[in-house]
Amino acid sequence: MNGAEPRKLNCWESLGCGRGPGSLDPCVVATDSAGNGVNGGTNGGRSCWAVVGTVSGGEELAPCAQGTSCLTCDFFRLVKSEEGPSFQFLKLAKGVSDLQELQETIGRVESLMAIHERMRTDFDLRTTIREITEEARKLTGAQRSLVLLVRGKPPALHGEFVLKGELKRVKIDFHESSAVGYAAVHNHMVNLKNIYGALHSSIGPVFNRAFDKQCDCRTHSFLAAPICDAQERVIGVITAANARKGFFSSDDEWFVEKYATEVALAVEKQKFIQQSVSAVRLSAIGETVAGLSHCIKNIAQALRAGSHIIKRAIRSNSVQDISAAWGILDRHIERLADLSIDVLAYDPVVRERSKGGALNEVVRHVVELFEEEARARAVQLTLDVGDNVDPAKFDPMGIYRCVVNLIINAFDACPLSDGMVAVATRRTGEKEVMISVADNGRGMDEETKAAIFEFFRTSQPRRGTGLGLATVADIVDRHNGRIEVDSEVGGGAIFKVFVSEDIVVV
Amino acid sequence: MVPRAKIMVVEDDFDEAKLIKMILEGEGYEAVCAFNGKDALEKLESEEPDLIVLDIMMPEMDGFAFCEKLRSSPGNENTPVVLLTAVAQHIQESKYPLNGVMRAEVQEYLEKPIEPETLLAAISGLLE
Repeated sequence: MNGAEPRKLNCWESLGCGRGPGSLDPCVVATDSAGNGVNGGTNGGRSCWAVVGTVSGGEELAPCAQGTSCLTCDFFRLVKSEEGPSFQFLKLAKGVSDLQELQETIGRVESLMAIHERMRTDFDLRTTIREITEEARKLTGAQRSLVLLVRGKPPALHGEFVLKGELKRVKIDFHESSAVGYAAVHNHMVNLKNIYGALHSSIGPVFNRAFDKQCDCRTHSFLAAPICDAQERVIGVITAANARKGFFSSDDEWFVEKYATEVALAVEKQKFIQQSVSAVRLSAIGETVAGLSHCIKNIAQALRAGSHIIKRAIRSNSVQDISAAWGILDRHIERLADLSIDVLAYDPVVRERSKGGALNEVVRHVVELFEEEARARAVQLTLDVGDNVDPAKFDPMGIYRCVVNLIINAFDACPLSDGMVAVATRRTGEKEVMISVADNGRGMDEETKAAIFEFFRTSQPRRGTGLGLATVADIVDRHNGRIEVDSEVGGGAIFKVFVSEDIVVV
Repeated sequence: MVPRAKIMVVEDDFDEAKLIKMILEGEGYEAVCAFNGKDALEKLESEEPDLIVLDIMMPEMDGFAFCEKLRSSPGNENTPVVLLTAVAQHIQESKYPLNGVMRAEVQEYLEKPIEPETLLAAISGLLE
């Protein structure tokens, strides 16, 4: 088959206006030689929307464009679908005789891209909308621009702008009685010119002059583009008012439509962020509650069993059983206390942070506390205090808690016999001290190491509170410090806590 | 004299293992402790327990892994087991499907904190 391609119609042929080339009163499009060949048309015949003087430009309106927008015109859609990917919206590739026009267009595209880029990185909806509004205003050469979003019940369009240095809020009914409402209700671009002039049509969208009265201004040209979400629901309207050149061209319409898409993307992104944040929060709360409940259940188990044995031992007068069970009961009461202290240690306010004093004394005190337990667990516990450590600046309560938790962690990791836990302090910099706790336990693989500072991610689900190392990380973080962990499976572990003395008051 | 039933307590927390052992001994059972699944498997042959009280969350080899090995070891296909967990059963089951591990006729599943009386009732029920 070698059928001839169907002839591409020019606008005057498709729309039948009778103002094609050679007619008595040819339209500006028919004589626009700069557009010749664009989308396969004669002169501007297939790029009529890009010709100034059709929809809203100049003195003379093309008959096809009265009261409508080129972007919703059937002929525009026809050309777009016929040309497919090679469709040319602007006369960029061919026939651009005006370098300034080209530079302006490139500037506009770059501005759109810049907005898009900013949205990818630093995002805040209000700021983003403000930026988009400002860019849309500049690029359409408008005096003012505004983004209104649909909110509330019944839905209305809400926006804010600065007038004479004062922030004003505007609410427009979701009703076609205003140009903005019309764009929203009909999901349709509105482009008005000569609003106070005789030519201004009373059919179709009408600019609400009450707005001018309220804001003490006069609007002569006005562009309103609907903002739609992915489901094509109108979620707002973007407007531009008072074009410098006296009207908004179809290029302006096209760009404002793109800005509308950017606003829609920003709103969607905001929604997504909110949903993710709340999902993360819910999941964190769920994990925390589950972890706490697990830990408390284990403690409760020991308390219940211990009390059962003591009651029975009292009945049978067995001092030996009472003493054995009481020792265990006592430890679990202590564990319950540890749990509450660990929960409380997650307090964002650093208490007595700058107090500081003798770090070696604090560490020595903790080590002494654990000496008895070390004997009971057959663990050899040693302390090696460094020189020039004191005086140091630190939060004594916090560091005390850190060392307690690190020693408990080390004890739990130790083998059943011949366990060793070595605690040491060192000065590692002019304004930095280090506390290390090493054990000869079973060590950790990379996966375990990566998760140890998370809540309730203990490899000792039964003994610890599941908060111990998370608390250590939190306290060290508040000291502007850092933690280094050296460990491999079967090779024990060493936790080094570096505490910066450059205290920042939180 | 009726020989005393021997119960193996598999529990990684020394304190809890000791407390359960004391409760069981107070009721006239003989009790031995193991501190994880691997330790328990090693002791299985020499101790020959009549029943096992088994914690689920343990390092090295957890309760479920131990149960699977237990059931495939000759002579232990029907050894009764009381499983203990501190995690609610529905969460536990969603994380660890019990297919092939749970056998209702020879196993009990108890959620901590357990009343010692409940534990003892479960044990005597399974030993009958």
